[in-house]
Amino acid sequence: MSVRVKGLRFAYRNFVLRVDELIFAAGQTTSIVGPNGAGKTTLLKCLGAILPISKGTLFVDSKDLALLKSHERARLVSYVPQEHGSAFNYLVLDFVLMGRAAYVPLFSVPSKDDVRIAEEALEFVGLGSFADRTYAELSSGERRLVLIARALAQQSDILLLDEPTTFLDPRHERQVLDLVRKLAVDREKTILLTLHNLEMALQYSDNMVFLKGGEVVAWGKAEEVFKEPLLRAIYDMEMKIIDWNGRKIVLR
Amino acid sequence: MTGSKKNKKKCLLQVFLLVLPLLLFVISLGIGSYAISPRDLVGTLISTISPSSYPDIPPVYRDVLFRIRLPRLLLAMAVGAALAVAGASLQALFKNPLVNEYILGISSGAAFGAALSLVFLGRSFPPQAAAFLFAILAVLAVLLVAGRGESMSLISLLLTGVIVSAFFSALLSLVEFFASPYVLQALFFWLMGSLALAGWRDLAISFPLIIAGLLFLILFRWRLNVLSMGAEEARSLGVHVQRGKILVIFLATLLTASATAVVGIIGWVGLIVPHLVRLMVGTDNRLVIPLSAATGASFLLLADSIIRGISPLEIPIGIFTSILGIPLFLFLLKKAKRVWL
Repeated sequence: MSVRVKGLRFAYRNFVLRVDELIFAAGQTTSIVGPNGAGKTTLLKCLGAILPISKGTLFVDSKDLALLKSHERARLVSYVPQEHGSAFNYLVLDFVLMGRAAYVPLFSVPSKDDVRIAEEALEFVGLGSFADRTYAELSSGERRLVLIARALAQQSDILLLDEPTTFLDPRHERQVLDLVRKLAVDREKTILLTLHNLEMALQYSDNMVFLKGGEVVAWGKAEEVFKEPLLRAIYDMEMKIIDWNGRKIVLR
Repeated sequence: MTGSKKNKKKCLLQVFLLVLPLLLFVISLGIGSYAISPRDLVGTLISTISPSSYPDIPPVYRDVLFRIRLPRLLLAMAVGAALAVAGASLQALFKNPLVNEYILGISSGAAFGAALSLVFLGRSFPPQAAAFLFAILAVLAVLLVAGRGESMSLISLLLTGVIVSAFFSALLSLVEFFASPYVLQALFFWLMGSLALAGWRDLAISFPLIIAGLLFLILFRWRLNVLSMGAEEARSLGVHVQRGKILVIFLATLLTASATAVVGIIGWVGLIVPHLVRLMVGTDNRLVIPLSAATGASFLLLADSIIRGISPLEIPIGIFTSILGIPLFLFLLKKAKRVWL
């Protein structure tokens, strides 16, 4: 499924996010990059209907997100938060199972099928044997994977990931991003993620969106927009892109 | 192997917790200032159905059993279940295991409403209506002042709860001031939280309300898990958060008001019982809610039996639960300090 944003406005205190037009093609991975406070997370939350937009429309294929009921929307779009802090320490499987909320009737509990889907999602992220552990005893890398598994159990075509690799060491960063790629390739998900690591963003995504001060500065195919002048303008600092055996390295 | 063994043990524990209130109920029937032996207990029950058997049973047994003890025990069970489930649900909703109906001002609002009704509308008018009305007003006041959504911290919730409770206590004193000495005495005893005055008439209205509230919250139990993820996450998971919030607050208030209207303020049950249950079975509300209902019933039955068993004076049960609950609350508050404040 593709996502189309038109004339989006979101205002909070003195921050305004302005997106005139953005199209995220079906089955492609798009990284949203930009400095802190550029509005990356805000854009993602608007797309996930977690924050109410003040103006504009968000279309998933031909459906206007604003006109959908909560559970209908959640079947199309799932959102993976940066981190989860709860006062209650659920078992990992119970945690992933909550991804089924959009399918379980209001006054009911998850069915055997729901449990099976949650187990499969946990298996997919490589934590099948963690079902009976509690969320609190996981490492931060494992928690990210569990959050992704929960979104996976939601069985939505569109997946929004908010900085899925922050605070992770290089190995776990790669593990999470490999998983994201696997979701795009194996499950044909349309993926939008915010990232700070520019090299990873370039390496793992088809498209890139550059945000600064709440506005889209550039967007398009990753290798086409990823240029030195743009990086300098976005981050207000000297940056150099070096080609190393076909891989691009950013010097700063 | 060990996994299935563990599961079996868990299952047994759950069954035990569910059966316990029935067991305690039967045992409690014989306990009290007028003790009835197990043999006479069975005799009384059977002779009610066929009067010719057990002719040696004194008729006073039947009066004690059916007019006093049975409604009292049923009420203890219903109130215990109601308060425990209200507490557990509110804790999930506010994603905070320290919240309970007492902290949120629901209890004091309900107590004021019920007292107002008893003093000015008389005993023939059901006090549940006014109790519910003022309980809702109290919780709304707390929520409006304490802040909205994610920004609500426990400390502001606690403070606002204390202030709103104090306000309703002041209003309650005003009602007491206007009450006649005769009514005042009953009011005073009732406010301390007491099952001693319970009769069938009290049960007739509160019992169905409590059963209905319990039923809906038990059906809603898994949604409580999702709501306990916080508003943003719950919304992204496909839950209509606002609607869920209103439903849970409405039902928890209904349960608390129905209980408070007939037995007065029995505080802290909604804190003690869900904590005990979570210690035993974990945090999943699919288990916590129904088992809180059962354990809440057991808890009040047990507390009531101890009170009736140890002294003919009958200490009000509300005093008993507060003496147990407040130290526990302080302990948990200290433990939780870094996480929620």
